[in-house]
Amino acid sequence: MTPLDHLLLLSALTAVFTLAAGNIRSAGWIATLLYAAQGLALVKMWGMGYGPEVADSSISFQLLGQTMHWRFDSLSWFFALITVGAGFFSSWFASGGWADHYRAQGNSLRLFHSALALNVFSMLVLLASGDLLSLFIGWELVSWASFLIMGLASTRAMGYAMRYLTYAIAGAMAILMGIVMVHAQTGSFEFAALAAAVPGMSNGTLWLLLLLFGGGFGVKMALVPVHLWQAKAYAETPGPGAAFLGAISSRMGLFALILVIIQLVGIGRLVGMSIPYTFLDARDLLAWVAVFTMIFPTYIALRQHDARRLLAWHGVGQTGYMLLGVVIMDDLGSAGGLMHVFNYATYQAMLFMSVSAIMYRTGTADLNQLGGLVTRMPLTFIAMLVGIIGLAGLPPMNGFVSKWLIYRSLVAEGMPLLFVGAVIGTLGTILSVYKLIHNSFLGQLRLEHAKVEEAPWSMTLPMLSLAAIVFLTGYFPGVVLDWISALQASVGLPVLAHHLGGVHFAQGGLDMIWINSLLIAGIAIGALIFYSTGRSQRVHQLDNYAGGHFLSADVRYQYSDNFYPGLLHLIGPWYRKSFRWAESALVSLTDALSLAMQGLYRQVQPSIYLLITVVIALSWVNIR
Amino acid sequence: MKDIKKIEIIQRPPPPEPARRTNPLARVFDELVRFCQSRSMFMLHYCTGCGAIELPPAMTSRFDMERLGIQPMVTPRQADILLVTGYVSVKTLKRIILTYEQMPSPKYVIGICSCTVNGGMYWQSYATAKVLKDYIPVDVYIAGCMPRPEAVISGLRALMEDIRTGRGDAWKKYYQNYDFYLGNQQRLFGEKWQTPTDVIAEAHHYGMMTDQTLGEHTDLLEQNEVPLDALRTRLKARTE
Repeated sequence: MTPLDHLLLLSALTAVFTLAAGNIRSAGWIATLLYAAQGLALVKMWGMGYGPEVADSSISFQLLGQTMHWRFDSLSWFFALITVGAGFFSSWFASGGWADHYRAQGNSLRLFHSALALNVFSMLVLLASGDLLSLFIGWELVSWASFLIMGLASTRAMGYAMRYLTYAIAGAMAILMGIVMVHAQTGSFEFAALAAAVPGMSNGTLWLLLLLFGGGFGVKMALVPVHLWQAKAYAETPGPGAAFLGAISSRMGLFALILVIIQLVGIGRLVGMSIPYTFLDARDLLAWVAVFTMIFPTYIALRQHDARRLLAWHGVGQTGYMLLGVVIMDDLGSAGGLMHVFNYATYQAMLFMSVSAIMYRTGTADLNQLGGLVTRMPLTFIAMLVGIIGLAGLPPMNGFVSKWLIYRSLVAEGMPLLFVGAVIGTLGTILSVYKLIHNSFLGQLRLEHAKVEEAPWSMTLPMLSLAAIVFLTGYFPGVVLDWISALQASVGLPVLAHHLGGVHFAQGGLDMIWINSLLIAGIAIGALIFYSTGRSQRVHQLDNYAGGHFLSADVRYQYSDNFYPGLLHLIGPWYRKSFRWAESALVSLTDALSLAMQGLYRQVQPSIYLLITVVIALSWVNIR
Repeated sequence: MKDIKKIEIIQRPPPPEPARRTNPLARVFDELVRFCQSRSMFMLHYCTGCGAIELPPAMTSRFDMERLGIQPMVTPRQADILLVTGYVSVKTLKRIILTYEQMPSPKYVIGICSCTVNGGMYWQSYATAKVLKDYIPVDVYIAGCMPRPEAVISGLRALMEDIRTGRGDAWKKYYQNYDFYLGNQQRLFGEKWQTPTDVIAEAHHYGMMTDQTLGEHTDLLEQNEVPLDALRTRLKARTE
């Protein structure tokens, strides 16, 4: 038994346990412990985080003369760490008060926990895939496991999950076709065989492969223009499930993309594949897809009133940063993109958890019906504050480091337009996360929320632990950059030279230890002045200035309805629902085609059917 | 122009001799603090009267009161000066008192236009509060109907000089003679009159309780006071 076997077995055990005993009261806690054990199994493979180590699984079998096997390298280890971590924190969050509440609503806890465990298991299987065939099997497992957890909550959620499934199957078919093409070219499913065959392939073949694989993986990542499924499906998933899916699920697409396109095809070929009649090449195409994925969903998020949808749309948007960073393919950019995977998982899980905590206490996530909760749920507020600072990419949180690396690399590599696109995306992020925290926690507390309490410890502790991770990996980004440089070496990307605080250049690097220490010192000086004078006086909430108006509790003097009306007046006409229109047009087209085929089968005379067959057969013979 | 008689506009008694203090450096710091205070003031303009029309030229580049360190401010919590321009109707006066009480001390009031001095052309109006200083202490009046921006600037300079020399202490009167001001307010607004600010507690806070602070009118206030019904801001989760 190799360490990888231990990990996969533990993960399978978690799934079996939750399936068998998910309904008992302490099932969540035991599952959390089992995730922790999976984490320990990962820690036993620590060497992969720091060097070019590879762990094989002892499980492998022959299928139609092809060997299927599973193995872990630095790339898999990094993604597996995030997966197991996300599973651990989500399960912890779902163990105490949340579970009772969920069960009281008439839901099955067993379904939820087993769906979560199956998700973790299938992702680990996917991450461990050692050849294209096992990659495809893992891919399908992940798709179906995600469907399982998405469709739990309600009939509406089931509708969104079905939509996801439609996209996922289309994507999987594209991948399958790509794999078949590779097999036709090389006669093998091995990664090494593909890598060896790539230099001999023509640009046309490679383009087809790129479109098939990129399209298939892109569906999972929800890249523009196939981004429509993700936000609603994730938002309707029960709270901790949304935290898990948002943190890591669609990152599997990025993993597969790095594995197949970056590692096996390589940057040299991508840059060589130019698009006719333009000055773009395959890498530029990917980069622009990434930038549009950054901009469109982020500005869709700006318009959302449901906090969960707002976050889920951000999940789509932030994928763009990761892909953009990775396809720049220099040491800085790819490190930034990969680090963003880790950073984003930490704060997205935390943000979804804080929104779930709000829903747990108030029963709504509608941003127009919340406000002023900071006085009632201060710990949840801290978690959300840390999360939005990270999401917006501001110091001192870890999101700043990854975005800085991506920006810096865009500037250094001479890609100013992509840089401007990324900045526009960040602007939308900052605006909408401010809307999120303002409408839920700041402003006037509603009378109906006067007696709301802080969420229980079983919910606040995982949030605060994640907040600590976000802050500490922002303080010492070198910890994560160590794993990433091992990953870069194993994938064949240029390796980023770094130290504990960040990166060093002759023209000015980034040292987060300095930046954060200065920031904390500044805040400390301010706090010292504030607290040492001791002259502050606490006033009543209604002793407030509203143009001289006398305030009373029954009149709301602070509205958070219809946020950013001025901005939306300016950019509102730009929202044309073009993608929604394209999707429904595609659906109608498929409908019409299937009707036509039905008509051909059922209505038309058999003689005409025969005639068509004969004509097609004759023309085929003629061509031959 | 030579034959125009020079008129001494501001004639004031010399500043009172400050009480002796044991620390010789204390006066140095007092002077410094007062100087800084007089040179950086935020102004809340409660501009419902017609005199407000003279403020834009006083604020903008023509006369530019910012060169004196005076800037407009949008809330009373950060403001030093309350500017009341023009006539004060009874309804407006309630708002002015609310706003004035929300300002942190030290705070200064400037009454612009004749209407704030004695009612001006609204002397016969049934709805106008005629003498502003009966209801809140006023530091400087700028008379005129309306005063030109030069006069506004000159009034602001007079206030600055008052603050620098330590004479601008009208705000202390409000705490020291609260009963008097409250009585006038109750006469106008009725005995149910109350504001959200607890002035007596503030008088304790600033150490300005005198025998004039409390009286029959504050007793009446305490009898009729309705506590604010909304939620107290606190950073602690608790069941009630």
